[in-house]
Amino acid sequence: MNTTPDVITFSRKTAGVLLVASLLSAAGFLWPFFYVGENLPQTQLFFWCAVAVSFALVVVQISSQQLDAKSVALLGVLSALIAALRPLGAGAVGIEPMWFILILSARVFGPSFGFLLGMISMFVSALLTGGIGPWLGYQVFAAAWIGLLAGSLPKILRGGREIFMLIIYAIFASAAFGILMDLQFWPWALGSSTQLSYLPNGDISENVSRFITFHFATSMAWDIPRAIFTSILIAAAGKAVLSALRRTRTRAAFLQPIIFNERVK
Amino acid sequence: MIKFSHVSLIYPNSTTTVLEDLNLTIAEGEMVLVIGPTGSGKSSLLRLINGLVPHHTGGILAGDVSVNGLSTQMTKPGGMAHLIGIVGQNPANGFVADTVEEELAFGMEVLNLPNDVMRKRVEEVLDLLSLAPLRNRSIATLSGGEQQRVAIGAALVTHPKVLVLDEPTSALDPIAAEEVLSILHRLVHDLGLTVVIAEHKLERVIQFADRIVYINGEGVANVGTPEEILMQSPIAPPIVHLAKALGLKEIGVTVREMRRMTTHYRDIETISKIETPPTSSKVITFEKLTVSYGDTIALNGITSNIFAGDVVAVMGRNGAGKSSLLKALAGVNPPTGGSISLSGKNPFELHGKQRRETIGFIPQEPSDLLYGQSVAIECEQADRDNELSAGTTFAVLQQLVPGISTATHPRDLSEGQRLGLALSVVLSSNPSILILDEPTRGLDYQAKNELTRMLINFAASFGKAVILATHDVELVAELASRVIFIADGDIVADGSTLDVLLSSPAFAPQVAKVMSPQPWLSVKDVVAALEGLQ
Repeated sequence: MNTTPDVITFSRKTAGVLLVASLLSAAGFLWPFFYVGENLPQTQLFFWCAVAVSFALVVVQISSQQLDAKSVALLGVLSALIAALRPLGAGAVGIEPMWFILILSARVFGPSFGFLLGMISMFVSALLTGGIGPWLGYQVFAAAWIGLLAGSLPKILRGGREIFMLIIYAIFASAAFGILMDLQFWPWALGSSTQLSYLPNGDISENVSRFITFHFATSMAWDIPRAIFTSILIAAAGKAVLSALRRTRTRAAFLQPIIFNERVK
Repeated sequence: MIKFSHVSLIYPNSTTTVLEDLNLTIAEGEMVLVIGPTGSGKSSLLRLINGLVPHHTGGILAGDVSVNGLSTQMTKPGGMAHLIGIVGQNPANGFVADTVEEELAFGMEVLNLPNDVMRKRVEEVLDLLSLAPLRNRSIATLSGGEQQRVAIGAALVTHPKVLVLDEPTSALDPIAAEEVLSILHRLVHDLGLTVVIAEHKLERVIQFADRIVYINGEGVANVGTPEEILMQSPIAPPIVHLAKALGLKEIGVTVREMRRMTTHYRDIETISKIETPPTSSKVITFEKLTVSYGDTIALNGITSNIFAGDVVAVMGRNGAGKSSLLKALAGVNPPTGGSISLSGKNPFELHGKQRRETIGFIPQEPSDLLYGQSVAIECEQADRDNELSAGTTFAVLQQLVPGISTATHPRDLSEGQRLGLALSVVLSSNPSILILDEPTRGLDYQAKNELTRMLINFAASFGKAVILATHDVELVAELASRVIFIADGDIVADGSTLDVLLSSPAFAPQVAKVMSPQPWLSVKDVVAALEGLQ
């Protein structure tokens, strides 16, 4: 039976590309724990690879006919909204309203949409805030994963329980984003001499414990306000925003059957 | 050119048929008007033409729609883009680019036309629609009529064979509407373009239409010449009602035809009505009121009084300062100079309950007032705020727009239903002044009659003041007791409806044009005057 196009859902091919991109960027995040060698590697390389692959992903998705006008419009409007929200919090500690919209949109429109939304909105907001640099590739992927996971949360929960689940997820996502962002610059952050510094060629457990101490010592001041702020936004406005997004989803008539008959009677 | 054969349509998750067994063949170069009550399926019919329904919305389509031999079953809307141009209800929602030239070029960019062709066509369309002086202007700064012309231009650059328009003149003042319609008329005659148009304000379009499709609420559509359809349908412009009221055998659809048919009715002694000036108290006083936005002066030191029991229509071109006046009186936009007094109170110092009981304001977009997730929640909230017994607001709403579903989200309502909801919420606090900005956009005749009845009742029986800004002269003729005409921020005319409307032919209602020089504005006036003679 014919239907109207669905909201973005990755095909197998795209999911494969997604896997490659994710592995690449995961390597970009986790290398300090596994790296063996004399000099620190050129992580810029990971950045360019990840950005190239992510663009390939978007292009594949767009050219594969699955992405119809309605999905593009939704993706465009929500990315623009999130990107516009980002400078609002710039400078203030952890006040980042963008996560709230990203999590709720991904919740309503699913994991694939969440992944693309996280990626595009982070990229566009970097253009707006001038935040382009080696860290951008990492940010893009961290946001994409947060969108992907938010979209994969169990579908059945509704009402108060749903909001509660989203708040828990928001706390997790805020902390995860902080950890990932620390991970990408920790090896360079402190020089090689302090007790919290990255130890090249060191033991994994030694490095992990050094990193965790480093993270708690430096970034909790960002992660905790971010988690609190996002949770408050979800608790206060989550219900209304979710219902607006769900209404959009209904109005956009994704996956509605199209039937052509000879005659009704 | 366009062929509907045995078309029936059912939307997903719905059991009602929107259209039932519609057969219609529209020839090349024909201008067809689609009429029907709100929510009857006019927009669905328009969207069936290029396949947006059912390809974008889903649904069951029985029968076949084909345009220039292409069936919408086989071809998706994208494949029809070169053939059909669509102009939506609100042109501003469809614009992609910032300036007029870029907007015109956009459609051709998408169709991947060569550069030199694009240049030629942009020039051609600029001339065709007299847009050349506006070519480098930013679209946001254009007036409503100009924007509508740009939207039509943007649809025409791809050289479509069919142009589909959904209520192209509903937001325009009479003169801008005339301008848009005469351009459409010219396109039909000069280029043989096929035009399908849906419109509520029949008095504006009827003279241009070759045929009418009338959809009644139950999905049944009648097709015929304007005279045939209008004889039977309850939806008709004022001159047709006039013909019916006078008991004429034939009806005319233009003022010219009707004047010829009604000569002997006009040849009677005029009974001059002496209107007693109202002796009621002043409700609103504003003196030397000035509103400016940056360097632009919207209102230029105007002074007037409004009395209890008055229904005042504020008229004027798009951008004349009507909304600025209304917003200042409602205490929304503070004036830059002058004073406003609402029964001795300053509207900007009123808050909460006191404010709700003094001013009821319905902005141009009534949904700005509606925050609830459903009609029921919105009504309950209004009952609670004003300490009314449960269900009072909903009862008012039922009276205003019958058959509204309580579970619907306010933004999913039709334009008329939304206005009804906003109005019943505002009326629930029983304000002493009611201010409405363009209340009749998208309202059909039936809803407009109901609105007129409610407002006259509200003003007369409770001695309250109603102020409304509108382009709709027919509504003003029926409803208003006084007209304030604004141009360029100044009051140019302020007087009884009769005096103001009859003094300017562009703003005179149809009945007045037919019956001139007799001072009759509406069918009701004519009937009353003729009965008075017998």
